[in-house]
Amino acid sequence: MVMLLALRTEWTKFRTVRSSGWLLVGVAGLTVSLSTLTCLSFRVDSCLPEPGTTCDVDTTRLALIGVYLGQVAAVILGVLVAGSEYATAMMHASLTAVPRRAAVFVAKAWVVLIPVLAAGLPGVYGALLAAQAIQPGNGFTTANGYARLSLTDPLTVRAGFGTVLYLGLVALLGLGIAMAVRSTVTAISTVLTLLFGFPFLAMLVSEPRWKEWLTEYSPMSAGLAVQATRGLDTLPVGPWQGLGVLAAYAGAALLMGGAAFKLRDA
Amino acid sequence: MTGFLRLMRAEWTKLRSVRSTVVCLVFAVGLVALTAAIGGSGSTTDANSSGPPHADSVQFAFQSLDGDGSITARLVSQQETGPDAKAGLLLRTAVEQNSPYAAIMVTAGYGVRWQGNFAPDVAGTVGKAPRWLRLTRSGGTVTGFESPDGKAWAQVGSVTLPDAPRAVAVGMFVASPPTGLKNVRRGPGATESGPDWTVSTAVFDSVAVVTATGAPVDGAWQNIDTSGPLPELPDTEITGSFTRDGDRFTLTGAGNLGLLPYGYGADSDVVRDSFSGIYLSAIAIAVLSVLFITSEFSRGVIRITFAINPRRGRVLAAKAAVLGLVAFVTGVFSAVVAFLISQPLLRDNGFRPPAYPDYSLTDWVVVRAVLGTGLILALFALFALAMGTLLRRGAGAITLAIGVLVFPFIIGAFLSLEAESWLRRLTPMAGLAVQQTMRRLDDVITPGPGLAVLASYVVVALGLAYWQLRRRDP
Repeated sequence: MVMLLALRTEWTKFRTVRSSGWLLVGVAGLTVSLSTLTCLSFRVDSCLPEPGTTCDVDTTRLALIGVYLGQVAAVILGVLVAGSEYATAMMHASLTAVPRRAAVFVAKAWVVLIPVLAAGLPGVYGALLAAQAIQPGNGFTTANGYARLSLTDPLTVRAGFGTVLYLGLVALLGLGIAMAVRSTVTAISTVLTLLFGFPFLAMLVSEPRWKEWLTEYSPMSAGLAVQATRGLDTLPVGPWQGLGVLAAYAGAALLMGGAAFKLRDA
Repeated sequence: MTGFLRLMRAEWTKLRSVRSTVVCLVFAVGLVALTAAIGGSGSTTDANSSGPPHADSVQFAFQSLDGDGSITARLVSQQETGPDAKAGLLLRTAVEQNSPYAAIMVTAGYGVRWQGNFAPDVAGTVGKAPRWLRLTRSGGTVTGFESPDGKAWAQVGSVTLPDAPRAVAVGMFVASPPTGLKNVRRGPGATESGPDWTVSTAVFDSVAVVTATGAPVDGAWQNIDTSGPLPELPDTEITGSFTRDGDRFTLTGAGNLGLLPYGYGADSDVVRDSFSGIYLSAIAIAVLSVLFITSEFSRGVIRITFAINPRRGRVLAAKAAVLGLVAFVTGVFSAVVAFLISQPLLRDNGFRPPAYPDYSLTDWVVVRAVLGTGLILALFALFALAMGTLLRRGAGAITLAIGVLVFPFIIGAFLSLEAESWLRRLTPMAGLAVQQTMRRLDDVITPGPGLAVLASYVVVALGLAYWQLRRRDP
């Protein structure tokens, strides 16, 4: 009963803030836009194979590239659900209405997760459909060794649903960190650093062992391994294991945020 | 002026008495240090394993000379594909790559040069083709001469080759180094770089190979690319050519000969790379800068601030001055820390002379990079302050400030190479050029203009912020 009440209050707070809607549009819109732009600019001859090899572009992964940007909106959404209440001292009112902190926390998590998944689904499938329409025109045809992108192919289904889950997980990561640090600015910058910092460090080192290590433990690089449909045996981390790495980060952040919420004064 | 100083002191008190300031500054320095440590330990090179960096990839038209003797020829013309284009006479103990050699040549940009077996060049006159050249061999000693008319000869250099056999190869060569880097996309976000070769043509006549007694040697001429065909991206090869028409010898080819200066091609700028953590510390500085203004808006402190100092422009200027100074000092300090951490690690991992320079903190390029790092952080802090003043909300301001830094990176990897290089010239990341300590062939912008690009973004952003601050109620 308390849980239902908490869910209802959190949902009301969420849907009556204008930024929520815009951020959800952002999750889907940014994903589709960047994917479409990339698919338009990337032709089969944009990739020049090394002599004696073929290029073997992962067309599914290429189609889902837009999630690089879409995730930023998801992170901000997750952060704002917790952080904006601290910024305006709204948290006192929330906890007066529903004193059970665990219920409030779990309700917040659901209110972040479900809308982001709901926005991620059209974003991801919009991107896949756009790619399906664009890629053959750019030379990704059976004649060149590329099967038409199929939405029912098991690997593509895994990539698509995995990407939707990825968006949900980064939003939860944002929520957890925001609950722990209680500041939107600090939380957004921390999460973006966590996501983009690892691939950045991987660029800087030349040792393959270090590169692999920085990819395996990076929430973004590992999490997006779920998008792979080609060269699966050469990935530093498997598709589901990779998403598991991100889930571990999100879980740790939620635990931290939950503990801070439970133990500290609001 | 004292009024403004008092205002700055007030802002400084506000900044330093907040705990998050200290946390942000610790992160700013710590992230640079951590990145320097990771980059330094995780990067290795074997650039020094085969001696100093050198090239031996020329088109060589030769015949055999048994015992002592000489070769004389007139370089009639040389196609000037770049200052380092070379054409001249070459004597090698064997035609295999990296065999001991001596060469007298005309370069397109630096006049006549002498090379004695991968030793530094010796300069002759600053003449161009047509030019007479001569190599004489006596035992293991080879001497190079030049002449404007084939009558008055001047010695340019001399060398004793180790283990010189009786029969050596003598002849003409041509080489033409790359003048840039050629990039190709191997996949989305995957770029491969390689030399963008130029091909030069040289014409010789009056070629005479004689023995020590003056008897002409008239062997058969052969030709070879000493390194084999040169690979060129994406999947082509360049082979030289040699044609003889009576007394007229024409050679074409790419390649290079001799010691390579540091930084030739695509070597790492080890100092700039060690400052890469600036990207991460810029995020910490952005947090500090955004909070410096947005926390005043969200808590209503800004009304008190403006009640005390009704001139809003001066308040913004004081905030900018304090913040800029703090960020500058932080940037300089972290750059010094990064340098001290990374350079010993990199040296242990193979990045040491002669292939890589041994910079110290007092070298001008390093000083410029260190101070430049401070300037970049200061400018970036002001940009974030302007975003905070404009938007007044922390979430939006921090996203914009970080986005400006990260977005061009992400997008660039998926654009065409041409578009990516324009992105690197025109977005704020152009300012990072001030960290260069060497001129790489793939740099798209030089330090001065790069910093100017970043500064103009900051000026526009601060101008907008000032305009909005005056116009809108706090």
